[in-house]
Amino acid sequence: MKDGDGALMGDTKVSATNVNVYYGEAHAIKDVSVEIGDKAVTAFIGPSGCGKSTFLRCINRMNDTIDICRVTGSILLEGEDINAKSVDPVQLRARVGMVFQKPNPFPKSIYDNVAYGPKIHGMATNKPDLDAIVESCLRKAALWDEVKDRLDKPGTGLSGGQQQRLCIARAIATSPEVLLMDEPCSALDPIATARVEELIDELRDSFAIVIVTHSMQQAARVSQKTAFFHLGVMVEYDDTDKIFTNPSDKRTQDYITGRFG
Amino acid sequence: MGVSTLILVVLALAAAGYIAGRMKAKAMERAGARPHSRSGFHAAHVMNWVLLPSLAVIVLIVIARPIIVDNAVRAEFPAELRQDETQSNLIAGMVSQIAGGLTLLDEGEREQVRVGLVPLRPLLAEKGVALGGADIEPFMVRAADTLNGLNSTFSGALWLLTILAAVIGGALGWLQIKPEMRARNRVETVIKGVLIAASAIAILTTVGIVFSMLSESLRFFSMVSPVNFFFGSTWDPRFAAADSTGDEGGQYGLLPLLWGTAYISIIALIIAVPIGLFSAIYMAEYASKRVRGIVKPIIEVLAGIPTIVYGFFALVTVGPIIRDAVAVPLGLGSSGSSVMTAGVVMGIMIIPFISSLSDDIINAVPQSLRDGSYGLGATKSETVRQVVLPAALPGIVGAVLLAASRAIGETMIVVLAAGVATRISLNPFQEMTTITVKIVSQLTGDTEFTSPQVLVAFALGLTLFVVTLGLNIYALHIVRKYREQYD
Repeated sequence: MKDGDGALMGDTKVSATNVNVYYGEAHAIKDVSVEIGDKAVTAFIGPSGCGKSTFLRCINRMNDTIDICRVTGSILLEGEDINAKSVDPVQLRARVGMVFQKPNPFPKSIYDNVAYGPKIHGMATNKPDLDAIVESCLRKAALWDEVKDRLDKPGTGLSGGQQQRLCIARAIATSPEVLLMDEPCSALDPIATARVEELIDELRDSFAIVIVTHSMQQAARVSQKTAFFHLGVMVEYDDTDKIFTNPSDKRTQDYITGRFG
Repeated sequence: MGVSTLILVVLALAAAGYIAGRMKAKAMERAGARPHSRSGFHAAHVMNWVLLPSLAVIVLIVIARPIIVDNAVRAEFPAELRQDETQSNLIAGMVSQIAGGLTLLDEGEREQVRVGLVPLRPLLAEKGVALGGADIEPFMVRAADTLNGLNSTFSGALWLLTILAAVIGGALGWLQIKPEMRARNRVETVIKGVLIAASAIAILTTVGIVFSMLSESLRFFSMVSPVNFFFGSTWDPRFAAADSTGDEGGQYGLLPLLWGTAYISIIALIIAVPIGLFSAIYMAEYASKRVRGIVKPIIEVLAGIPTIVYGFFALVTVGPIIRDAVAVPLGLGSSGSSVMTAGVVMGIMIIPFISSLSDDIINAVPQSLRDGSYGLGATKSETVRQVVLPAALPGIVGAVLLAASRAIGETMIVVLAAGVATRISLNPFQEMTTITVKIVSQLTGDTEFTSPQVLVAFALGLTLFVVTLGLNIYALHIVRKYREQYD
């Protein structure tokens, strides 16, 4: 595997094989295998409850925080099994950042929200370094100009769209290799959505991005690869253009033409 | 027949009104009208018309009766007696005793008493009524007669007017039943009124308590200067002689009591806040569902232990241990009762308040914040310290202040374990005393509410009230400030 900067689109960043997830007795994800490319946006689409968010949360082991959840199968990040005993989920989550459905800024200042990750991972030893990280992340998240004069104000005082961009800035501040986005625009209005989508397109140069979305237009706009999930099974995984123009599975066809879901 | 019987009668009338209203409304529906409100609302409306006027009459008469009767009775008193309020209060008490006794006699005996043929005292003693106090004078018997006469008039009037109000009200309500009548909305208005009345009673009670304390405190401050009370550093009220009315040279310095209260409460909080908060964090963030289901009720059992039992515990167990293990070896004190003993046990008492309230508050922090923090690679304790606790802080501060006002007002533990010596000292192994302890000691025993030695208890109570009120207001202020910041 090559390191981030030289990699071409299509290099595999995350490789999942035969992943199964159980919530207690319920079998939520059935035998999903998928290869997620580096420096590209991969979209997961599918009707509600199809397991796409659950699968997303396997990639940074967020499902560990749920007592009754059990994951089997292998997920390799850069060839390393993330479920191996030697992997610390806390360290893993610094490498695989996550943005949630609802903007969830911490009850802290804008600055401290972004500085949170770098501080706990000891990425900056002094204030100027930390300032630089915060500024560059806010710039990457296209938020700097809007908040540079009020970095000490609470992050919860921003508008919904700004809050979500703050959460993206917070997620990229730990310099992750993969960025997971769980319906990042579902709580936003169309204008804020457009800004976040632009942002995703720019961030694609630096990270492997996986986005779960309910909006097929959004998947078509931002992603290069699309996976269609249905009832816990990954039905089809292919180039986004192919999925939306010429899907090979009948169920995919029905879903994207709006016949169900 | 008393007021409670009357209320039962009114309720029966209301039920009758309900049934009558319902029948009329049902008949109206059957006749093909499409009424605005369903029959149940019409029935409830009639019921309200029965209840509200008659209850208003009962309340008015019950309030007015003692005032009118008392004035009429005192009108019989000789003029010079009326000047002396204390004395005429005593006589008024006797008159009502005599009046009670008179009702036990038959008409012939009463007549003999009135003309003075038979002395009243032995006659009543025969019937089992012992009259105390001063000699019985003819005007007292006249006053007692007036009292009995007025009372029976009022009882009759009460019944008559109440039932009249109920019947007329019910009839008016019943006549209003028409298809277009908006009974549903009117019933809604009455429900709102009842709810407002309930909260008004709670508020008025508080106001009443404050005013009763305030008036007694003002009497105290008319005898002892507020400067002596609030800034005096010596507590020495001397003796409360049975009929003393003036300042006997006692000193009522509040400061030693305030210091004792504050010192004990601070020790209690130093013990209870970390333990309570940490156990809340454990229960909310770390414990599995099963452990939490066992641990939380056990901690809450602590809250159900009567404070007098904590007092025993302090007196019998904690006090001697602290004395023998710490105070005596260090040469700091030799008493089992001490600030430390009371503070430690009081701390144990308020642990469940802090832990239970904090646990609820921590649980109310949205899961999305924890997810956000875990998603950035934070550990559990980092998440708790940097995200969960700051978000829960206003509630936790509220819980702590609530526990603090409980500690300040706590009585039984300090009565048993803090000692009675008034002292301003930093040594926690000495006896000290608190405001509540002194209120208890000033009010127990044979007391008359005229001497400053007793009235000081009200001034102390008022001070305590103001302190806890201030604490609560401050807590609300903090909570609001943080809420603005984090919402």
